[in-house]
Amino acid sequence: MIPKERVMKLFKKEPIDRMPVFSGQGMVVLPAIAACGLRFPEIHLTAENMADTALKTAEMFGFDGIVVPYDMCTIPEAVGLEISLYQESQEILYPTIPYKWKTPEEVVIPEDILQKGRMPVVSKAIQMIKGKVGDRLALGSWTLGPFTLAGQLLELDILLKMTMKERARIEGLLDRLTDLIIRVGNLYFDLGVDFMSLREMGTGTDILSPRVFKSVIQPRLIRILQAWRSPKVLHICGATDLIIEMMNECGADAISVDQKNHLDQTRKKLGNGVVLLGNFDPYNTLCVAEPETVEGIIKTCIDAGADAVWPGCDIWPAVKEENLKAYIDTIMKYGRFPTPAVGRI
Amino acid sequence: MVSEDKRQEILNKLKEGVVNLDEERVKKASHEALDNGLHAYDAIMNGLAAGMEKVGELYDRQEYFVPEMLIAADALYAGLDILKPHVKQEDTGVKGQVVIGTVQGDVHDIGKNLVKMMFEIGGFTVHDLGRDVPLEKFVEEQIKTDAEIVALSAMMTTTMMGMKKVVQMIKEKNPHVKIMLGGAPLTRDVAALFGADGYAESAGNALQEAIKMIAQLRKLGESRKG
Repeated sequence: MIPKERVMKLFKKEPIDRMPVFSGQGMVVLPAIAACGLRFPEIHLTAENMADTALKTAEMFGFDGIVVPYDMCTIPEAVGLEISLYQESQEILYPTIPYKWKTPEEVVIPEDILQKGRMPVVSKAIQMIKGKVGDRLALGSWTLGPFTLAGQLLELDILLKMTMKERARIEGLLDRLTDLIIRVGNLYFDLGVDFMSLREMGTGTDILSPRVFKSVIQPRLIRILQAWRSPKVLHICGATDLIIEMMNECGADAISVDQKNHLDQTRKKLGNGVVLLGNFDPYNTLCVAEPETVEGIIKTCIDAGADAVWPGCDIWPAVKEENLKAYIDTIMKYGRFPTPAVGRI
Repeated sequence: MVSEDKRQEILNKLKEGVVNLDEERVKKASHEALDNGLHAYDAIMNGLAAGMEKVGELYDRQEYFVPEMLIAADALYAGLDILKPHVKQEDTGVKGQVVIGTVQGDVHDIGKNLVKMMFEIGGFTVHDLGRDVPLEKFVEEQIKTDAEIVALSAMMTTTMMGMKKVVQMIKEKNPHVKIMLGGAPLTRDVAALFGADGYAESAGNALQEAIKMIAQLRKLGESRKG
């Protein structure tokens, strides 16, 4: 079975030959970046750099999928915020936003936003990857969810306090961002992306109450996921045990969680009909742990009921290669068996 | 000299003002504290900080969340602005300096700001380097200020690695400096691996760790007076 078919059938809960090795979050690693002759800060700058490093990572390690872009500043930059790209650095520093707006009314989304900043870079990278491996590997992309995106545009403490004290002003902004996210997601599908992830990581119960998730966050996630084509994944990092049923009501084809979620309990709550993705700690597992312990970590996710073992967040690029290989080998070894939502041919 | 009943009444107003996220109530009670001759440090520690301890417990029990904590912090700062100018240095029983900041590449600073607030309540002099701080700047500031504590924050896995280098750089220059690490992607094991002396997982936990430290300071201050 070719990798793309494996991934696409997983989302449709159709039988596959084995568990695919892929993610909806960042998967680019330093060995591949170095093999392309680049430093980490350079991979965000041009479509060629983005596409080459994504392709190289998949090729070097045998992933079934590829994910671009890598950073969370493409939309904020296009809206009009200055970003720090750390271009001179030798370190692994993802782009950041040094100064954000202080009121929702300052956030004005340009009509031609899809042509602003590095949005065309991402679009071109998608097309380049599609052109090279589009029939073989599954190409994923993603956006932040409206609340997390609002946290990239507004100072976070202001956003969080206004969620309690000036709800209407924040909801106006969230609705505008919802419209934008729908546009971006469907554009990426038009360009050839096979699956989209909606990453609303700022909304776990370590930050917001379940009541606020229900009243403020969930309606907008539902609207986006209804408007996007399939397949689409809803990913929330952080404490999600208390909101997992509400996440499942949002209309995604799959749910992705991180290591703070008790995946075995989530599987019991949601049943075997839901595609669950997760949920190992990427930094500790792939960058820190002794290689011989990786199999146990990955197997725990499989035993807990994951239909595909995804890292809980972006893979930290400075992986230990033997750990990454152990992750993949474990999936090859145990991923032959059916998972709760996805059978085997 | 204020009666004990009056003192407790005002301390409760301060505490409940913070817990109920009521900035106006805290301001009013702060003025009342000064008008009635309460020691400002007593009002801060046993009124405002006690309220924040309760807020931390409510966060731990998942009754309060980060927005509530931030609004409580605003209420606390409203009182602190009124009371702090009246604190006599000899009341605090604590002298010390803290360098605090969010490591380079990370612009999340809510947890860091809450921890900073607790250090300020405790009478520490806080040198806040802000966010996205180049690693060498932590070392430079610690040397410049001779701070006893350096507190580093990172909210993303992708920025955590810088902490290890800062810990190494500082310990090489001054092994006695205490280093506290905080931020969602950290685990106690990773903090220990990095060579830190203290650890806190999230804004709420950072607050708990800082509150525990302040609670210890309160007891230390009381035992010194006794």
